[in-house]
Amino acid sequence: MRVLNLIEVYIYEVTRRLPEKTRKDIALELKSTIEDMLPDNYSEEDIKHVLAKLGSPEKLASSYKDKPNYLIGPQIYDTYMSTMKLVIPWAIGITLLVHFIDSIFVFNSDEALLPAITTFLITTISNIISVVLQVLFWITLSFIIVERTGGLKVKIMPEWTPEDLNHVRIIPKEKDIPFTEILLSLIGTAFLAVVYFNADRLAGIYQTTENGKLTFIMPIFNQETLLAFWPIIIALLIIQIAFIIYKWKLRKWTIPLAIVNLIVTVISTITVIVMAKTPNLLNVEIFSYFADVLNMSTLKITVLSNKIIMISIIILVITNIFDIYNSFRKAKI
Amino acid sequence: MSSLLHTFTTEIRRGTLTLAVLSQLKTPQYGYSLAQRLEAAGITIEQSTLYPLLRRLEKQDLVTSNWDTSESRPRKYYVISEYGNEIYTQLKKEWDTLTLELDALLKGDEGIELD
Repeated sequence: MRVLNLIEVYIYEVTRRLPEKTRKDIALELKSTIEDMLPDNYSEEDIKHVLAKLGSPEKLASSYKDKPNYLIGPQIYDTYMSTMKLVIPWAIGITLLVHFIDSIFVFNSDEALLPAITTFLITTISNIISVVLQVLFWITLSFIIVERTGGLKVKIMPEWTPEDLNHVRIIPKEKDIPFTEILLSLIGTAFLAVVYFNADRLAGIYQTTENGKLTFIMPIFNQETLLAFWPIIIALLIIQIAFIIYKWKLRKWTIPLAIVNLIVTVISTITVIVMAKTPNLLNVEIFSYFADVLNMSTLKITVLSNKIIMISIIILVITNIFDIYNSFRKAKI
Repeated sequence: MSSLLHTFTTEIRRGTLTLAVLSQLKTPQYGYSLAQRLEAAGITIEQSTLYPLLRRLEKQDLVTSNWDTSESRPRKYYVISEYGNEIYTQLKKEWDTLTLELDALLKGDEGIELD
């Protein structure tokens, strides 16, 4: 490369990255600076030495730019984060709600429930993901634009004052009832209710057919027996929901709450035991079905099933005792 | 110099750069001559820092520039403006106050050490 060209190429490399307005001016100034830095009879080595001193054209060009080196600057970053935290849960919640309502209307009561629920979950989750991605993208993009065009002068949140400390309640971690627990109990209760009243279509023996679809063979429970209990079940449900709301209001374990927990748990456990002892709880057909599949006599199956029921009740009671003990322990903290 | 010490030193130098540059622009200077004057006083400044700084000062109306095409090599000269001089005088006062305050702090610290 001809000696003079080296300088020209360097200047070109720097200025082509700059806005047209200032290009000529910077180019001229840069040229005269380089020539100032060179000795009188300069060689190619001297030029290279000077250019190395000036540094990479990209870096030099970016130092001329006034634009900030970040997408979302420190001033509006906090606002960005709080906006995200505010919007995303709502976006997820609304998507969930819409899907749920939509699927209830669309549901064809002839088809088996379990595959329908599986489809519902899959579509809902994939939709939630795409909604969240959209929200992330658009909020981030808007904040980048705000940063580029001079930043927000408006305060979104009011300034903090010491008065705000009055709203803080310090609860030791063990004693605290986190919101997720409340939410999960509510969802769990709703789920159990749905399954209970639809047990003839949901709680049963499933088999995969040749084409991989899950088919419902027969229900485990005798739905008539289940439905006979309906007043008690509805009462229990109402008590449970009321209890959960009470927990939510309190946000932490207290002795009164633990006592209520004790009462509610005892009532539901007794109900379960009573139900388990009723004759005709189970669907008669499952005995013969299992006898066939497992190659045992129907009598053996019946004895076995009674044992299973006993063991389940014992496990339930033990778990509940632990739960009650824990709730009192947390209340005493 | 350890890299941590280097970052602190750079931070101090970066803060005083505007003051240093303005102090040398009472008479018209072009980029290279300015860099040389600062070097003579012990302040090494990179081209990639100096020229953008000069353009920013011009944007802020603290200096004015003009091209001198009379000589064989065209040069862009910068000189401090009237407004720039006002700012410079006040900035210099601030600097004097700052050094006094800092000196007191640092001397006071030495006093405790000597005990």
